[in-house]
Amino acid sequence: MSFSLSVKSTIHFVGVLSFVRFSSSLLGLFTTYGTITPQSPQVEIGKNFTATCVLYETAESTADDIFWTCNGKVPEELYTKINDSAVSVTIKITPDTCKWLICNKQPRYVNQTPAIHGIMLTKGYPPEKPNNLSCMAVQSGQKISPILNCSWEPGTRDELLKTNYTLHTSWTGFNSSQKSIGYINMETFPSYCELKIWVEVANSLGKVQSETLTVGDANYLVKTNPPLNVHIYSENNFPRSLLVKWRRPIEKHFFRLKYNIRFCAVGSEDWSEVPPNDTESDVDSFRLQHLKPYTEYVVQVRCMHSIGLGYWSDWSANATWWTPEDKPSSQPDLWRVVIPSQGKSERRVQVMCKDPVESNGRIRNYSIKIQDGGRKTVLVNRSETESRKIIPLYQFVLPDDGEALIELDACNSRGMSPRASLTIPKFTHEPPSVKSLSWFTKEGRLWVEWVPHRGKARDVTEYILEWVSVSDGALDWQRERASRTGLANGNLEKFKRYSISVYPMYSGKTGKPWTEPAFLDQKAPMVGPVVNVSRCGKNDAELRWMEIPLDKQQGFITNYTIFYTMGKQEQSITVSADTYSYTLKHLTSGSKYVVRVMASTVAGDTFGPEYTFNTLEYAPGEIEGIVVLVCLAFLFLVVSLVVTCILKMERIKKKIWPPVPDPSNSTIANWSPDFPSKADPVSKENALGDVSVVEVDVFDGRSLCEEDKAGLPLKKDKYLSEEHSSGIGGSSCMSSPRQSVSDSDEGGDSGQTTASTVQYSSVVASSGYKGQTPQPCSSQAQTPSFARSESTQPLLESEEQPEGQEGSGQPHLRHPRNAYFRRLPGGSSDDDDNNSGDPGDLNQLEMEDQGLTLLQFSPLEEGSQQTTPTEEGQTPDGQLDPIPSYLPQLRGYRPQ
Amino acid sequence: MSGHVKIMYPQVSISPTARTWLSLMLVVAIHPSDAGAACGNTPCGPSLQRSLKLTRLMHKESGDLLKTYKASQGDQSDLFCQKSSNIVPDPIISGLDPSERILSIYSHCKTFLPHLTRVTEQQTDLQPPSSPLLNQLLTAQNRISGLGNQINCLYQTLFPNLPIPPEPVDGPMSVPPPQNVFQQKIYGCVVLKRFKEFLANSARELKTIKDQMCSRRKTFGHANALF
Repeated sequence: MSFSLSVKSTIHFVGVLSFVRFSSSLLGLFTTYGTITPQSPQVEIGKNFTATCVLYETAESTADDIFWTCNGKVPEELYTKINDSAVSVTIKITPDTCKWLICNKQPRYVNQTPAIHGIMLTKGYPPEKPNNLSCMAVQSGQKISPILNCSWEPGTRDELLKTNYTLHTSWTGFNSSQKSIGYINMETFPSYCELKIWVEVANSLGKVQSETLTVGDANYLVKTNPPLNVHIYSENNFPRSLLVKWRRPIEKHFFRLKYNIRFCAVGSEDWSEVPPNDTESDVDSFRLQHLKPYTEYVVQVRCMHSIGLGYWSDWSANATWWTPEDKPSSQPDLWRVVIPSQGKSERRVQVMCKDPVESNGRIRNYSIKIQDGGRKTVLVNRSETESRKIIPLYQFVLPDDGEALIELDACNSRGMSPRASLTIPKFTHEPPSVKSLSWFTKEGRLWVEWVPHRGKARDVTEYILEWVSVSDGALDWQRERASRTGLANGNLEKFKRYSISVYPMYSGKTGKPWTEPAFLDQKAPMVGPVVNVSRCGKNDAELRWMEIPLDKQQGFITNYTIFYTMGKQEQSITVSADTYSYTLKHLTSGSKYVVRVMASTVAGDTFGPEYTFNTLEYAPGEIEGIVVLVCLAFLFLVVSLVVTCILKMERIKKKIWPPVPDPSNSTIANWSPDFPSKADPVSKENALGDVSVVEVDVFDGRSLCEEDKAGLPLKKDKYLSEEHSSGIGGSSCMSSPRQSVSDSDEGGDSGQTTASTVQYSSVVASSGYKGQTPQPCSSQAQTPSFARSESTQPLLESEEQPEGQEGSGQPHLRHPRNAYFRRLPGGSSDDDDNNSGDPGDLNQLEMEDQGLTLLQFSPLEEGSQQTTPTEEGQTPDGQLDPIPSYLPQLRGYRPQ
Repeated sequence: MSGHVKIMYPQVSISPTARTWLSLMLVVAIHPSDAGAACGNTPCGPSLQRSLKLTRLMHKESGDLLKTYKASQGDQSDLFCQKSSNIVPDPIISGLDPSERILSIYSHCKTFLPHLTRVTEQQTDLQPPSSPLLNQLLTAQNRISGLGNQINCLYQTLFPNLPIPPEPVDGPMSVPPPQNVFQQKIYGCVVLKRFKEFLANSARELKTIKDQMCSRRKTFGHANALF
């Protein structure tokens, strides 16, 4: 590091020092101590270089004090002491040799600079010899350009030194050269003169020249223009010949020319060249022979010095012309398509053909003959460029057991072609097909291989290789003679499906075909399968998709892959190519699935559109099962309940409808002094039918309860509680006296205060009943006697028996009670008027009704004053509703 | 932009005057000894053939040159060419044997060169620089130099034991003194006319020599034995 720094500083210093010394030498200000020879040398890499440092007297030093530096101190072994004041140094020059070589002397004192003088070494290589010199002069106008252009290969080493290239000729001129090319202007091109050319390369280290290019005639370096005015002429009597004429590009006095002619049919790039020997002489025309009639040819001509030295000119411009027509020299390509008829024992035959390969002109018509029929002419009307197009000629129906011989001639303006024939054998007598058929592609072409039928191969004269495009039905064929391999020469398109067939031909008779599908090239299908779900279950779904149309498959489908996704989880299943439905299983119920199907060929895959479906929450029938089960359970429950009810009827009945004590059989009557201890047998028999409805007389009630009404606002709560407690007690004029009793039973009766559980009480006033002396309602002095029943039956008439009736003194128990029962409005009202109904009728009524519905509370007879019951019990049309004969508990017993 | 348009060519442009002087230097630079170095050893080889073809080419070009000259001299150009001049070399090839006749051709080449040069100088002053006449004159000078070398070489090949005389044997070498324009035009036409005749004679002579010498050599095998 320190060394490199010192070197840099030294170099910098030396540069400054040199400038200073140079300046000082000019101005005489500074003293120079010595010098180095040579000055600013250009040294050759790889060789030794010697420099000598000479001290002046002013240096006051000797040669022993001199040392050399060159990127560091040069070893003293390389020094050579010449005398006391001069020392030389010899170093080998390499690419890495230092740029500055400095002569130094040992300083006498500290601040004295050691450098005396330095030189800059310019390194480089001597010039290299150019090789492969070549020159060319081109035609300019009608003469040869005097400018000679030359090129050569320079040396491969880097040119570290400035190098000059000079082009020299034996014919003086002005040259301008670069590293590898140059030209020389000779004023006049030295035709027929010997010319020597060489290149000289020079730099400061030397000079070298290339090998001399000597040409005996400078014309050997000429490249002329291509031949002029190339024209082609045809002659009608020579349909296979064309005459080519041209004009030489340069005057004959310069030199003789030889020519080169090439030609090809238009559209073809396969040039044919006329043998050079045929055009070596300096000619200006040539007749091309053995051409194809009625073919457009392209001809080009070029030229060069007849000696063969120099350069070929460029090819002339294209000259095109048609050869004349000739009569067809080959058969038309006759073929047929046989289409079997559905349900008929016949075939439909379409005869078609292609122009003869050697049609030698434009085919104008075809002459066709079917079996023994007459000859028919089919005119051909088409453009010039539609040759070799398939021409449908004729269509006829051939019975399956029939055979047809087809003969065909093609005609152009010059004549008729050789006849082509084709035999369609009987359907049942078709010769056998080939044994097998296969195909492969190679270099973008379709090759077909087949194995001939064993035993019949010798009879086969040729094979027809036919291919039909599945997409558009385009058909083409070609003939292969005595071969087992055929290259389909038609314009087969990639990614299209073809049906390849091979027909063996047995002396013009068609054999059975062997057909295979084929693709010239395959890629991913054009479209993917469109999938849908045909059935979706709880955990499975059946997918269906259609086969991709054949013209969109673009290859053989190798398999289908089903992708189905739920959420972000995708699964796939691969199925074979002949599968078009698949049932996905183990799906999650009630989930959304996205499914798509990918069709694959060997060359790629294509996805079809996505299809979304949801699996069912419940499987089909599951809901119905649940409903049935629930219904069955419910039914079972109901049945069980009914059975239980039936079995426990008595108990339930007792529970719901507790036995109502028959007032007639009530023991309370026993404690009445006037009541017989035993019931009337007749009454006993009718005990069940003695259901009666308490008829509340509003007037009576009002009259009886005036006092209560008066005190109602004040004692409403109590009053209501009384109603609750007694259930019926409020309706009686004697409720007040019973208040204490009712109150005492309030707690125990609370459960019977609802409307549904109307507590039927039988209150028997101790007064006015059964012969007791009736007392006014206001009488408070008498102690009432009563008994209570838990029955919910309607109130009995004994509770509200009017005094008048009581006063009638009728001894029979039934009579006063029945006086409170009325028939329905539709019934007889006389009984009410009489207040003495027939007990038998009453019982009958009770028996018929089996309840209370037919027995109505009949307030109508009480006059218009009775408003509340009317409003409640009357329908808007004035009819009475079948309200219960007792008042609901909610209403209390106030009207009573 | 109606000014002059200078067309740039990819070649060194030289003024006609300089071109003329350079051509003179070129002619002077061609020394017979230099040309002789390129001669081959086969007399009936390409040397004689090339000389004959070059002569024919020059004859063809001299015809074109004369047409161009006449066309560029204005009216009465035919009148100029009907004159004669004693200072112009005679186009006749002299000599009794092939060596003398070949030497006569060589001498004519040497003789015609200064006259062509003189005509070129004169026409350079008379013609515009772009005149094709100047270029053709220059070409004629260059070719006559080349033909001189070719004939010299042919002579050395055919007659290796005969020295070439230092001075031309035929015609005056001196160019005419200063002339007026009329004289220049007459002089130029006479030079070119005789130059063309000389080339025609030379071609005919070389063809004869070729037929005589090479057919004889083919017949007898050794040409050098005859000389």
